Amino acid sequence: MRTFISHTELARDSRFVRQNALTDVLAQLPDDVDAVVEAFENLAPLLEAAVKGTPFEEVFEAFGPGFLPSILNEPITPDGPHAELRLRVRMHGIFMGELQALEGAGRTLWDFPDAPWEFKMNMARQCWDEARHVQIYEKLLAHVGGYVGMFPESTFLFEAACADDPVLRVAGVNRGLEGLACDVFRDIIKYAEKTGDDVMRQAVDYVLADELTHVRFGSEWVREFTKDDPERAKRAKEFQLAVDKKFSIGGTRSGREDASIPVAVADRKEAGFTDAEIEELYQVSAEGPTRATLRQAAAILRERHLARRATSAGAAA
Amino acid sequence: MTNGRRYPGTSPDERTGFEPYSAFDIPADLRELHGRYDVEATACRVRNFRYAEEWMMMIMGGWLATIPELPVKTGLGKIVWETAQAADALGKRLPELRAGRNLKTASEAPNHGFAEFTNAVAEPEDPELTIEKLGGMFDVLSPHLIEVYEATARSTDQIADAPTVELLEDIVRKARRHVAWGHEVLERLCDTDAKRERRRERARALHEQLAACGGVTGDGGPRGGLRDRSVAAAHA
Repeated sequence: MRTFISHTELARDSRFVRQNALTDVLAQLPDDVDAVVEAFENLAPLLEAAVKGTPFEEVFEAFGPGFLPSILNEPITPDGPHAELRLRVRMHGIFMGELQALEGAGRTLWDFPDAPWEFKMNMARQCWDEARHVQIYEKLLAHVGGYVGMFPESTFLFEAACADDPVLRVAGVNRGLEGLACDVFRDIIKYAEKTGDDVMRQAVDYVLADELTHVRFGSEWVREFTKDDPERAKRAKEFQLAVDKKFSIGGTRSGREDASIPVAVADRKEAGFTDAEIEELYQVSAEGPTRATLRQAAAILRERHLARRATSAGAAA
Repeated sequence: MTNGRRYPGTSPDERTGFEPYSAFDIPADLRELHGRYDVEATACRVRNFRYAEEWMMMIMGGWLATIPELPVKTGLGKIVWETAQAADALGKRLPELRAGRNLKTASEAPNHGFAEFTNAVAEPEDPELTIEKLGGMFDVLSPHLIEVYEATARSTDQIADAPTVELLEDIVRKARRHVAWGHEVLERLCDTDAKRERRRERARALHEQLAACGGVTGDGGPRGGLRDRSVAAAHA
């Protein structure tokens, strides 16, 4: 068995399809209406093909390629538009993330056979935790009326786990991504509290507790691997910030007041993030478009989409 | 409470009044101080066992990304952790056997052949090869370890080396669960004659390699005859 496989080689059964382009585009969007519109217009053919036969097809028809900023980037509220769809999207995305986290932790064991034993123990424990998380989110997905494979999978999490230095893996995955998980899971717990969904609240709360442990693994190993090596420490820091920026998904997760997923400051502090690190996260995640920008862009995209549909219908008649 | 002295003094008439065990109806411990392995031999075996468990953990960790069946991924996730715990417990026994505290040298293959056998178990990589992956692990390597651990636990000094006995018994208890799970999955996966043949062929080839290198301890197993029994099992 080789070491260091690519994210394209993750094995899946026939229920899954891949879609990575969107994540990359969303991560690079500036806070500019025209730029957002142009980016999604360019993606329109890809998006239309990707949503065919999925639950997104209906919203694509209604909103055009701007359905992502129109619907998915809004905070999830029980009485908001397309609340069920958005909840399923969120659950499915987390399920896929947990699956890749399981695979990432496992690959770290295989890719670094000479790593310290305690590091391997932490990664092995993480394999079990992530395996349980996969099972939990598979059940929660069904709990909200979804099913595995209903949306395309983005393998961007595993990409972050592909670094060839173990310190980058723990900086990117355990501190960057597991930190993001803290933010997302706290948001879901709040949603479950609002809707009185105790099954969801309790299960996700357990998962959140595990994630704090994984962040602590990350913090400890970044310190251990980089002691007496300021250059390596700098690389780890830069890598984590790059992951933080990418996974802020254009400001969807940020410290801004209008963030769809707010930064879970208390949970992050409990996991060992410092005030300075949380401030850095605020800065790096605030570089994407604001919700107002996304809303304006979505309105333009919808208008253009409906006009195109009307033209096509007229030509066909 | 007993009458008289509670603690012995320094002269013969200063004994306590406590009766020896034989005065009570407590069955005597009939085990004798005898074991096949001395401290050094047990430490050597524990190193070999830890090598196998550590590599099993790493191999199964690597496979998680290459196996398409979701329940197999999640099932292996738990086994990776339990195997890591087994390796960890074996490593912690080593300093108690005067075998050092350096975890980097805590795992040791008995010979080059067993290291090659471990490589062969790890070899399958393609997503189509779940049968070969699980077959190597749960038809060959894990059952072999269970057999050797149980034989070691029976053969070592039951009193003097009791911590090793307890440790191996705990590992075997979980390993049996792993093997049962692996067999259940393999039976589901091998739903045609061709697939069942793949499983048999994989076990046959690995059993042969395992026998040739003398197994996890390199000595053909604690009771000997590993080659004959393994080949017979594979053919069965």
